[in-house]
Amino acid sequence: MFSKMRRVTAAAALLAALALPASADTLTIAQNFDPQTLWPNGTTASDNLNAGSAMVESLFWQDPRVNEIRPLLATGFEMESPTSVIVKLREGITFTNGEPMNADAVVHSVNIFIDKEQTPAYAQVAQAFSGAEKVDDLTVRITLHDSYPPLALALSQIYVVPPNYWNEMGLEAYGQKPVGTGPFKFVEWVRDDKLVMERNEDYWGDLPEGIDGLIWRPVPDDAARVAGLTTGEYQVAKDLPVTAIPGLENEPEIKLVPVPSYRIYQIGLSSLPQHESPLQNKLVRQALNYAVDKEAIINSLFFGKAEPLNGQVLRKSQLGFNPDLQDYPYDPEKAKAMLAEAGYPDGFTIPFKFPSGRYAQDREVSEAVAGMLSKVGVKTEMIALEPGEFLRQLRSKELAPMYFVGLAPQDDPAFQASQYVSTWRYTPIANEEIDALAEAGAKEMDVEKRRKIYQDMMALMHEEAPIIFLYDGIDVYGTDARLQNFLPRGDGRMFFYDVSYGQ
Amino acid sequence: MLQYLVRRVALTIPVIFGILVISFLLTHLSGDPTDLILPPDVTEEARDAFRKRHGLDQPIWVQFISFCTQALQGNFGDSLRFHEPALKLVMDRMAATTELALAAMALTLIVGVPAGVIAAYWRNTPVDLSVRGTTLIGQAMPSFYLGILSIIIFAVWLRWLPTGGRGTWWHLVLPAATLSFQLVALIARVTRSCMLDVLGQDYIRTARAKGLGEMKVVWLHGLRNAFIPVLTVIGLQVGFLMGGVVVTETVFSWPGVGRLAIQAIYARDFPVVQAIVFLFALIFVIVNLIVDIFYAVLDPRISYR
Repeated sequence: MFSKMRRVTAAAALLAALALPASADTLTIAQNFDPQTLWPNGTTASDNLNAGSAMVESLFWQDPRVNEIRPLLATGFEMESPTSVIVKLREGITFTNGEPMNADAVVHSVNIFIDKEQTPAYAQVAQAFSGAEKVDDLTVRITLHDSYPPLALALSQIYVVPPNYWNEMGLEAYGQKPVGTGPFKFVEWVRDDKLVMERNEDYWGDLPEGIDGLIWRPVPDDAARVAGLTTGEYQVAKDLPVTAIPGLENEPEIKLVPVPSYRIYQIGLSSLPQHESPLQNKLVRQALNYAVDKEAIINSLFFGKAEPLNGQVLRKSQLGFNPDLQDYPYDPEKAKAMLAEAGYPDGFTIPFKFPSGRYAQDREVSEAVAGMLSKVGVKTEMIALEPGEFLRQLRSKELAPMYFVGLAPQDDPAFQASQYVSTWRYTPIANEEIDALAEAGAKEMDVEKRRKIYQDMMALMHEEAPIIFLYDGIDVYGTDARLQNFLPRGDGRMFFYDVSYGQ
Repeated sequence: MLQYLVRRVALTIPVIFGILVISFLLTHLSGDPTDLILPPDVTEEARDAFRKRHGLDQPIWVQFISFCTQALQGNFGDSLRFHEPALKLVMDRMAATTELALAAMALTLIVGVPAGVIAAYWRNTPVDLSVRGTTLIGQAMPSFYLGILSIIIFAVWLRWLPTGGRGTWWHLVLPAATLSFQLVALIARVTRSCMLDVLGQDYIRTARAKGLGEMKVVWLHGLRNAFIPVLTVIGLQVGFLMGGVVVTETVFSWPGVGRLAIQAIYARDFPVVQAIVFLFALIFVIVNLIVDIFYAVLDPRISYR
């Protein structure tokens, strides 16, 4: 039977070499999933947004190469008052169906963005806005309920759609065949197979050099994405498994692009009053931080492809990162002594919940943590959860007292901070000082004052230890070595502005 | 015959209904899909709106009744993720899955049956041993592993075939081979043991005695008589095939129903899961009905009255 198969495949080989597309200047991109909708405001899932935003553009965008928010369809914005902002639009842009990109289109798009029924996935950001009105053809006034420091980030999430086409198609149909202003336009979408785009010759800005079109392919299997990248079938592959990285590092035709993720991995240690456990005691929570060897996890489970947290949940590039803080060092002896001081000289037993199959290496990390904790006398009853059940329990606070989680809030300290406020639906801690700092930071418009607030909050959280600070994940992308200036963002988003392909 | 057919078709109705009930209960008891479909930082209001829009706020028996009445009209509701009719999503992907399943089945018959016949004819020779050895490996090897292994060998090392996706005939080779591998092994083993029985029968001796050539004896008289149990196994293995496409389609990025099933299950996209279960069950029932009819064609002693 083997011989039969070999003969068949051998015959196939000759023709296969000729039959395979020699995708000259079309980039084929392998992501995990097929988009559900190509309307960027229809979802926050990065695989959807990546494809959708190649065609439909936003007012501003956050460029990971310079880590700042840059104008796109807008030329800038200016605060009229703390709750009113004037957005100036770029002149002379048309959608690919000929409709003009102007104040009417933007007002129309902002109104959609604000409507919870139409954009439930953006409700947390959209609730800051109260409305939009046209000032003149290229000027729009957007009003807010309250002063809102992450305004630029929020504006970068409003995607502009052509009103006539939108009204004609409706929300669902627009998402299947969108029209935008972007560098690429829609050609064909065969569900679960391929999404084809060609370049928009009338694009208002600079087109990515050497790229005629994009083909997006959903390739759910990790090993298959790696294989297709190796054979040159894909010029970009998203989310490579860490285990494949050592093998790819020496391939001359492949470039690996590591991106520190927005996702912060942590062990929640609930000290909420309703969750009776030794974790109510701050000394115990600190002791557990000393008992876990973060570096060993990063090096052995992630081959070094994860970043230490420096004892806080804000990343180095974020406003409010506190440079004075450091990770709790690995010191099991000290942990034991602290547990004894807290009244647990022989340790204790505690349930420990973790998801299986939601995050990279989630089970392995949890097992490693449990093993390290057992060395200081803390025995864990490990409970693995299916991802859906895990999310349900997270939101209903049923994971407490102790659980492994990776949280990826949006890239503003306000979103990170809000997850530890006592009213947040899955906070592990209720602390008045933390609440006060988070609230102050969410309103403060002065950047330096705001930085100080979050630095203080990070220091307080470090001390209070509502979590075991583990690591910041790194997303690894693989590209054809000829793809230049390509840098995805920590939330899984990739863009093709200023990217070039060729020698 | 007609009466038999009518009775069989009538019997499938409670079977299908039972499957619908079980799939409804299993999916709905698995939990609320809202948390999986909306991001975790979404407000409670937006969550409630989502539940309301999809009727998830209703008591489960109300949901069940509306599900049944709609399902009777061929409407499984809209997908929670795609906001399109679930049945349409499934039917859109049916062609790809049918293509893959038929190719795998053809491969199974073309390779598995002759291998079994040959092994039986030359039983206990090196030929037999190699067929038996290969089929043992084939049955033992999980298909996701076999799939990845074949990608690495034939696509990455040898560069003969693409790693995945659908398009040319070459794209079909690896997934079909992977999907059929276990079936080939099973069919070869069943064919072999049935042929061993048959080859010892008096009518085979009679056939030889009247001077028929070995080819005719083995392939015409032998295989035809050995084929009924093989056919039964094939009919039952359609179920295996339906399960197999779930894994194979995922590994090979094949845009079919199996992959949709996996995604729908992970996301608790109830309407899609139910539509797929319904269709797979229907296919299984129909194929086995056809197998039953084939019995009569193959063996004149069997007749349905």
